[in-house]
Amino acid sequence: MEAAKTCCCKRSCRFLEFLESSIGKKIMLALAGFLLCGFLIAHLAGNLFMFAGADAFNHYAEALEANPLIPLAEGGLVALFLLHIALAIRAKFANQAARPVDYEVYRGKGARTPGSRTMAMTGALILAFIIIHVATLKFEVGGLKGPDLYAHVTGWLKNPLYAGFYILAVAGVGLHLSHGVQSALQTFGAGHPRYTPMLKKLGLLFAVSIAAGFASLPIYFGWFAPNTTACCAAEEGAQ
Amino acid sequence: MNLTLKVWRQKDAKSPGGLVEYQVSGVSNDMSFLEMLDILNEELVVKGEDAICFDHDCREGICGMCALMIDGQAHGKDKAATSCQLHMRRYQDGDTITIEPFRAKAFPVVKDLVVDRSAFDRIQAAGGFVSVGTGGAVDANCLPVPKQNAEKALDAASCIGCGACVAACPNASAMLFVAAKVSQYALLPQGRPEREKRALAMRSAMDAEGFGHCSNEYECEAACPKDIKVSNIARLNREFLRASVLAE
Repeated sequence: MEAAKTCCCKRSCRFLEFLESSIGKKIMLALAGFLLCGFLIAHLAGNLFMFAGADAFNHYAEALEANPLIPLAEGGLVALFLLHIALAIRAKFANQAARPVDYEVYRGKGARTPGSRTMAMTGALILAFIIIHVATLKFEVGGLKGPDLYAHVTGWLKNPLYAGFYILAVAGVGLHLSHGVQSALQTFGAGHPRYTPMLKKLGLLFAVSIAAGFASLPIYFGWFAPNTTACCAAEEGAQ
Repeated sequence: MNLTLKVWRQKDAKSPGGLVEYQVSGVSNDMSFLEMLDILNEELVVKGEDAICFDHDCREGICGMCALMIDGQAHGKDKAATSCQLHMRRYQDGDTITIEPFRAKAFPVVKDLVVDRSAFDRIQAAGGFVSVGTGGAVDANCLPVPKQNAEKALDAASCIGCGACVAACPNASAMLFVAAKVSQYALLPQGRPEREKRALAMRSAMDAEGFGHCSNEYECEAACPKDIKVSNIARLNREFLRASVLAE
């Protein structure tokens, strides 16, 4: 309120006050998370082309890369991730400062969920995964290079360590979303007695679906897919 | 029954504190938790020791003064009850009970288990009231208030400001308290004229006190002795968002 009194432009100050407030920061954090969920849907939909075969997936990837708006979308995606991470870290520090002396015994009354307890942990796991994921699949770090994207991806997924980490990370995404989606709805102020509980249940279903959808790729291509393309990748692989 | 208590003892706000172990014997099942502490205090006074300081007043769950973190749970193990409503029949002979003060930067320890909760008063003073003239009592049905809104407003108004929401929150957030105080007016016509001003001012006062950020863990709702619902927090988020856009 002090800022509004001393500022030249009340409207812009109100916006700054909103961004600086605990609720405003939480709304921005939730909004970034919500938009990232949109990316997850689009990315999963694209990835599922892998089940349609090498040609379908490679054609999809080429069409996607040919789009001139892709660098803009990638930039926006990186910005969303950075905003989400920065606001989460800032909130974490503010929350630690809000309780400088911790309890000797803290038990709570059972409202916390596995998802809510592990938000920071799953967030860090997802970040680590994204770095490895982008480095290996986009920038071809790690010495593996297939003749096309399908061969390249399946080559990596044949590595049980890589596939195992992929499954662990997408399970982390599911756990993160199990709290994140309903938390975002609450932060946006969704409070209808009939629709909100249903939306929160759908959020849980979304979390499970995203995790299961992404995990289906390393599970199938890591252990169950017929070994047709791994030969190409293995020949080129330096590992 | 005989009990072992581990109680947080702290001489004053500036001195360091720590858990001190006490043995209490002859505790009856019918005693309240605070009566059990009274027994211990009487023994301490007889021995010439300093009595354990703890807040209490009505001892019937109305005033919100008693505020104890009992075995890591705000107001102890019962749901929708204050520390004074907790009875010793909930414990068994030989139990060890840890009692700590509510912990938050905005609730500094005054002595032992007593914390300064005047931060809540300052938030309330920032906007938790109606200052426009709403006239005298109007004829019935002249001012329509839907039944469900009246119920929700009264539920929100049952907040006794004990601070259990802050104590139980992993982030020491005061959102449930502020949400209750904003909701009780936002739901009624008398509170509407100042709804934007109230939401902005109370949010600002809440952050200025140094409470943490709400991360929707809902431990506040589970610990609230008056069963204030987290749907009020969604309403506060809506009210704040609305006020940030619409306020002049």
